[in-house]
Amino acid sequence: MMKRNSTVFLLSGLVALLSLPAGSGAVDFEKDIWPILEAECLDCHGPDKQKSEVRVDQRASLLKGGDIGIPSIVPGDPVASFLVELINGSDPDLIMPPKGSPLSEEEVKLFEDWIAAGAEWPGQMDEVIEEKVEHWSYLPVKRPEIPESDATNPVDAFLNAKLKEQGIKTNRPADAVSLIKRASVILTGMIPTPEKVREFEAAYGEDSDTAYAALVDELMASPHFGERWAQHWLDVIRWAETNGSEANLYRKNAWIYRDYVVRAFNENIPYDQFIREQLAGDQLGVGEATGFLVAGPHVPAATVGREPAAIRQARADRMDEIMSTVGASIMGVTISCARCHNHKFDPISITDYYAMSAVFQGVEFGGRYPEFAEDHPRRQRASEIYPKMFAQRAILREGGAWEEDWGGFKELQFGNQRTKALRIDFDWASVGVDELQVFGPDEYNDNLALARSGTELKEDQSLADNRHPLKNANDGKFGTMAWRAKAPKDSGKKPWVELHFPEERTVNRFRFSSNREYYFETDYLLQGKGGDLPSFRVSVVQDDGSWKQIAASKAATDRIAKNPKLKKASDELHRLIGELTDEGPRHSFVGQFTKMPNKTHVMHRGSPENLRDEVVPAGFSLMDGDLGLDSETPDSKRRLAFAEWLTDPNHPLTSRVMVNRIWYHIFGSGIVATGSDFGLAGAMPTHPELLDWLAAEFVDPGRMEVAPWSSKDMIRLLVMSDAFKRSSLPDQEKLQVDGSSLLLWRYPPQRVEAEVIRDGILQASGKLNPEMGGRSFRIHNVKKTYAQWEVVDNHGEDTWRRMLYQERMRRVDDKIFTAFDFPDCGQVRDKRPVSTTPLQALNLMNSDFVVEQSEFIAERAIKESGGDPEAAVKRAFELLLLRQPYADELAACTNIAGSNGLNIVCRSLINSNEYAFLP
Amino acid sequence: MNPEHMTPFGRRLLDRRNFMKNTGFSLGGLGLAQLLAGEGRASSDNPAEFTGKAPIRPDIDPDNPYLPRQGHFEGAAKQVLVIFCPGAVSHVDTFDYKPALAKLHGQKPPGMPAVTFEGPSGNLAKPFWDFKPRGQSGKMTSELLPKIGELADDFCFVHSLHTQSSAHPQGENFINTGFTMEGFPSFGAWATYALGSECEDLPAFVAINDPRGLARSGKNNFGSGFLPAAFQGTDFNAKNPPANLGRPMDYSASDDKQTVDLLQRLNAKHLEKYPGDANLAARVASYELAGQMQMSVPEMMDLASEPESIHKEYGTESGSELKREYAKNCILARRLIEKGVRVVQLFNGSDPSGGNGITNWDSHSNIADTHAMQAEIMDQPTAALISDLKRRGLLKDTLIVWCTEFGRMPFLQGNGTGRDHNPEAFTCFFAGAGVKKGYSYGQSDEFGFKAAVDPTSLYDFNATILHLMGLDHERLSFYHNGLERRLTNVHGHVIKEILV
Repeated sequence: MMKRNSTVFLLSGLVALLSLPAGSGAVDFEKDIWPILEAECLDCHGPDKQKSEVRVDQRASLLKGGDIGIPSIVPGDPVASFLVELINGSDPDLIMPPKGSPLSEEEVKLFEDWIAAGAEWPGQMDEVIEEKVEHWSYLPVKRPEIPESDATNPVDAFLNAKLKEQGIKTNRPADAVSLIKRASVILTGMIPTPEKVREFEAAYGEDSDTAYAALVDELMASPHFGERWAQHWLDVIRWAETNGSEANLYRKNAWIYRDYVVRAFNENIPYDQFIREQLAGDQLGVGEATGFLVAGPHVPAATVGREPAAIRQARADRMDEIMSTVGASIMGVTISCARCHNHKFDPISITDYYAMSAVFQGVEFGGRYPEFAEDHPRRQRASEIYPKMFAQRAILREGGAWEEDWGGFKELQFGNQRTKALRIDFDWASVGVDELQVFGPDEYNDNLALARSGTELKEDQSLADNRHPLKNANDGKFGTMAWRAKAPKDSGKKPWVELHFPEERTVNRFRFSSNREYYFETDYLLQGKGGDLPSFRVSVVQDDGSWKQIAASKAATDRIAKNPKLKKASDELHRLIGELTDEGPRHSFVGQFTKMPNKTHVMHRGSPENLRDEVVPAGFSLMDGDLGLDSETPDSKRRLAFAEWLTDPNHPLTSRVMVNRIWYHIFGSGIVATGSDFGLAGAMPTHPELLDWLAAEFVDPGRMEVAPWSSKDMIRLLVMSDAFKRSSLPDQEKLQVDGSSLLLWRYPPQRVEAEVIRDGILQASGKLNPEMGGRSFRIHNVKKTYAQWEVVDNHGEDTWRRMLYQERMRRVDDKIFTAFDFPDCGQVRDKRPVSTTPLQALNLMNSDFVVEQSEFIAERAIKESGGDPEAAVKRAFELLLLRQPYADELAACTNIAGSNGLNIVCRSLINSNEYAFLP
Repeated sequence: MNPEHMTPFGRRLLDRRNFMKNTGFSLGGLGLAQLLAGEGRASSDNPAEFTGKAPIRPDIDPDNPYLPRQGHFEGAAKQVLVIFCPGAVSHVDTFDYKPALAKLHGQKPPGMPAVTFEGPSGNLAKPFWDFKPRGQSGKMTSELLPKIGELADDFCFVHSLHTQSSAHPQGENFINTGFTMEGFPSFGAWATYALGSECEDLPAFVAINDPRGLARSGKNNFGSGFLPAAFQGTDFNAKNPPANLGRPMDYSASDDKQTVDLLQRLNAKHLEKYPGDANLAARVASYELAGQMQMSVPEMMDLASEPESIHKEYGTESGSELKREYAKNCILARRLIEKGVRVVQLFNGSDPSGGNGITNWDSHSNIADTHAMQAEIMDQPTAALISDLKRRGLLKDTLIVWCTEFGRMPFLQGNGTGRDHNPEAFTCFFAGAGVKKGYSYGQSDEFGFKAAVDPTSLYDFNATILHLMGLDHERLSFYHNGLERRLTNVHGHVIKEILV
């Protein structure tokens, strides 16, 4: 199979190797090496067959190496030559030749000497393999000519040319009702209201073009537009609000990223900027956008056990999730295929994979306070709240020490103290502390207790717990790896800890927590914030080495409780802390960054235990991926530089992949059917010229008043086409030629997604709560860490928002709508399959949600039809099917409404194919 | 089936033959068919160049994806019953007899790791239960599971299994889906995708969850991953029916009948506009199966018709509450196999803890107690299930797979009472269609620490199960995100030695 076009160039006469060690005893290729290669290797690695893409009959091929991604020989360096490793049996799993007896020690030595001496190969010393990319999607986009046509929309010009070729005539335009349903669902995910339908029908009858253009304008200006298109994007990157894996913990405030995506589509943030912000929003004032990077599932370090190799493997797996997200969503490549060896189909080498992973080496799954530009509403809100907090603290300060409860941690403020050491005596016999911190007035946010800053901790050795050593308390890490100490019953002892600073410090605050990671990163756990914290006393060391108590948390709290003025200030302060946590910048699950990431190495065969060459952060080598960075480049700069590479107008993939996604969401299948794989194993485009024209137009619009990278304008262009407006009715003759309607002689009818079914029911009943954004509504329980989520309420009033705002739980069933191919958010999925199962039928017939909503729709229809039974049936038809019942339907339904209730009619309508299919 | 015995759903909506005649159906290769078969270039061009062996696409009728289909070749097993024991059963305390452990009890020979999954390791410990020879084969199994042990002459043990993860969820994912990561199709989904079902009115693939709830990896253990949702396992057990199966409380039989009558009228009208649309037809058919399930599933769950002797044999009326519940699940499993359900996955263990305070086989401390409590639940009902299937002649066509995600260590943990996870060696067994009887394949080392003779990966394990069902694991693939995905990734060899 041809994956890359490999050309052997003969650069004859240009190079002469002068430094070859010559002399007696030198290995002779013809005599010593070739016979072995010929006898032992050539069958599998010769001109006929190249197992693992290794070929041993050309020196240039050996220099390049096989799909493992490292050279078979490095002249002058036998140690770096993979061939030697394979024949000397250092890895018994990989030994070559794989069958029969291995090479003798002498033979191996011959190869080592031959390579050490420069791998002399008469007649081939100047040959090198140069790689060229030929696959269409890796070549630059060239704007094709628009075919001659009567069509005003270039999209139609391209489509019509192809239809003409096939001799297929197009369907007539759709009727007004089908058209408004189609446009509304595609653009906003909502079925139109009957009033809207009537209005449009009337206008369409007068002037169809003007009416339709106005409809599209209106729909695209609706805030529902962003909700609909955000849903598509969240699908692609399998974004969810839980981790997946064992505990499947909730990701606190992850929804802040979902709101960003909705806003980005509604405000039409140019797509290149959208990419930059998602990769490096921390540097662009939209820190929440980096939720993109940690959209995939992850196995938290705490649940992989204590074997170091398992911990390293888990980190490599987490990195691979990040790589998959970026690769599939933006680049349309299956990058993970190159994790263990060169990509089988695409020109992505294992080195490319790890070079790209170096770009994200500073990223870890977890949360942080998102960086916001000064005008970000949350930041503005914080700057209103802070002065009020300072005012209350000033009052408290007059009374002495006070304790602040921040939910995840407690902090005792005790006034400036200059000291070399601090001692904390706990009032309980047992303590668990994931981190303790000390701050002073000078560098206000610098933790002076950190081991890295030279501070040493001491404890009562007799109370120590080997599995939870004291060093965990000042390692800068929150979470389950905590310090624990426990005094035996009746010992009269209590745990204490001393903090010895490297030199005298001024300190005024002590802060600690039992599991701050749980507080920051997750929620809805029975253990909540990680348990209660003990009261404690603080002492400073005297010159004579003795300890002097300066504050005690319980005494401070008692004193404040008795003093009305202080009590009021403390209460107000805690109210403000709550307000700040809610409305100010909040710790959110949008990724964590390390300023200076570790060096990145190629992991041989994907194993973190087998590190090879160091790699520097870069894009793909065959797509001008050199970013001019090295291992010393800080994390932030890496991600930004990579984003710039992706959004270069000449990048062959970025624009093609996005316009194809937009196409898929509008027409039901992509021009390239495999939307997240534009590689050799992916599908070929049905309309290659059209795809390239759209990609070119996206980046560099020829139309007036259209900005580059404008997703909204691209969407508008497509929904304004004749193709989008066509009737979807079948035609057996045309179906014979184009059974899947890929040529778009008709608009392909399709079953709508779970969201459209559900949101449409709520709209019909009049119960839809249109509130946008914010914390998702919950349908699940509050659980123990290692328990499963269970559905508690999937139909009550709190759930009557759009389904986009239902908590997206990885691999958890909502017992109604997940059955409609709602993604389980485990693997990247460029599109939702549309399957049909009996569970869907059962859920839509019998769930509490449908039973109740059928009732509500019936109530509404009766109320809005003035008590006439036939009018009520008509109204129910309007609300759900957007049309009037036919005479026989009306008669039947009126009967059923009379005998069994109108809700039974509504239940049928909800289950009908007409309701669930987009015409 | 007599129409009188059908629900209004089944009877009215969905007399499909007439229905299609009336509406002039012709099922063409439209959207759904394409989707079911998997898309991408690899499927249309020359697939051989992508995987070495050409994928064989199942010929799925989009109108009814559950119709029985031919395998790749004649397989020994038509159906599979998987008995999965989450938490990791200790092989050295059950089926893998290691006399060396008794000899070196309390010692720590060289080569044992200092740190394992949960932390520092302790010394070798002899089995907590005595081993005895069983049956004619004289197979040594322990007193922990005496009733199951008595059936050893029917079993084909594999003692040399090893896996890729020492954490439960990844371990469960790996044995059940072939990948440690999430989102890949489970074995049952693959099998039903390829073969459909022999049973018309029940789901093709049923997951019977433990009375305590789902296992650690939850739905992933029986999910469809990127295969169409039609092939996911439907989960219910003797106590809890599938969600929304029953008629809503406020509705009468007449309400259901009227709903279905009207639905048929609406859909027929709609189909007049879209004659021959396979997606619409498939949706109609799905309501038909739903209607049949409303009848057949409660029927399956109703164990009152089983004779007293069966209840006694399985133990639905003796022992702990959890054991009684599990025994009922075992009877349910037999009934489903009897009805022709393609894959039944029976769980013995969960994630949440139940009445006895333990969740599953995980035994990091006090293994003597925790394994014993779990064994009390499993032993009698499971032995009864296997004997019952054999007695009824069902083992001729049914393969039983008893398995767990990994083993446990031959040495104790630092706490001195429990055994940690052991991914390097563990035991599972087969019984029934196509496998040898009273046979043991492979060996772990003298302590049961690592697979030693004929090490067997779970890829091999899954490849063998597919083979027994008449499926070539290298050719059963589905194009997804650029790859022909398989249950066995790019690995796996059928264990020929255990085949009849």
